[in-house]
Amino acid sequence: MRQLFLSTVFAGVSVALSPMAHAAEGERVRVTGEIIDTWCYFSGVMGGPDAVVGSAHHTCALWCSAGGIPVGLLGEDGEVYMVLKIGADDGSASGDTQLTLASHEIVADGLLYQRDGLNYIVVEEVVADNDITNLNHEDYGPVPPFAIPNPNK
Amino acid sequence: MKRLIAALCLLAAPIAAPVSAQDFSEGSEARSWNLYAEQPARFEAQVVDILCELSGNCPDNCGDGRRQLGLLRAADGVLVYPNKNSQPAFTGAAVELLPYCGQQVEVDGLMIDDPDLGAINIYLVQKIRTVGAEEWVKANRWTKVWAENHPEAKGKGPWFRRDPRVKAEIAAEGFTGLGVEAEQTFIKELFE
Repeated sequence: MRQLFLSTVFAGVSVALSPMAHAAEGERVRVTGEIIDTWCYFSGVMGGPDAVVGSAHHTCALWCSAGGIPVGLLGEDGEVYMVLKIGADDGSASGDTQLTLASHEIVADGLLYQRDGLNYIVVEEVVADNDITNLNHEDYGPVPPFAIPNPNK
Repeated sequence: MKRLIAALCLLAAPIAAPVSAQDFSEGSEARSWNLYAEQPARFEAQVVDILCELSGNCPDNCGDGRRQLGLLRAADGVLVYPNKNSQPAFTGAAVELLPYCGQQVEVDGLMIDDPDLGAINIYLVQKIRTVGAEEWVKANRWTKVWAENHPEAKGKGPWFRRDPRVKAEIAAEGFTGLGVEAEQTFIKELFE
């Protein structure tokens, strides 16, 4: 019993001290959802969650993606999946691939990791890119309002 | 032997620590952004490449700026995700943390905890210093780094109006992403 206990404790210590203690195989998933700007969505800095997605928020989503704010995949299940890689592009901080997909609805095949309350996804393949499907700009106007400059000035 | 076992159990304790169970506001000097779910949070952590931490895919120097970086909190082993730096300019935190890749740092900023939206362990970093250092470094380098990397975009106005990739996307797909032609009526009516 003592040997078993010690083995268990030593294994726990080994895991705790390893630099990649939590590196693991992801769970294969297919997620349909919108590529969003996570800071505006999580913080509420620009308004409620329905206003910081879709065509109303597209320009801001471009700014945030180019600015290195993490993008997420807002799934049909309401969960946010933090995107760490898309195909061969690991540019999750201002990367080119994620920028071109801003506000798009995609179908993503990939690997899911869950850690400390957040979902993370490594998108291995964008199975479908349905472009922007959430047409909410008539409802909310541009979010933020200055996203579209006045063409008359 | 009992002492050895007790010591080993203490070392293993972070594995069982509850997520977000601790209050990290003590000593924080973080400036409020008046966000619904913000809490001041100052803590020590290791700067890590999140993709490396989760999957074991680990390039040199945390991906040299391509990747999002995380904060592996010393007190409980929780992986905190810094989404934002301190500039009110649509700018993230990876540029601020990259100089500290793999290092133990102390950070001060705002934790966002809004489980209704799935926001757990989301962070806005306002200042950073290596553990033991006297001076804090403000997490506001992003626009300076962008300007150094985009000398061709020099000009008036904020960076996001001048960024070549953003401008190309808007030129191709419009401000709503639905196409320049498709949004013409909407924009005309918006400013009438």
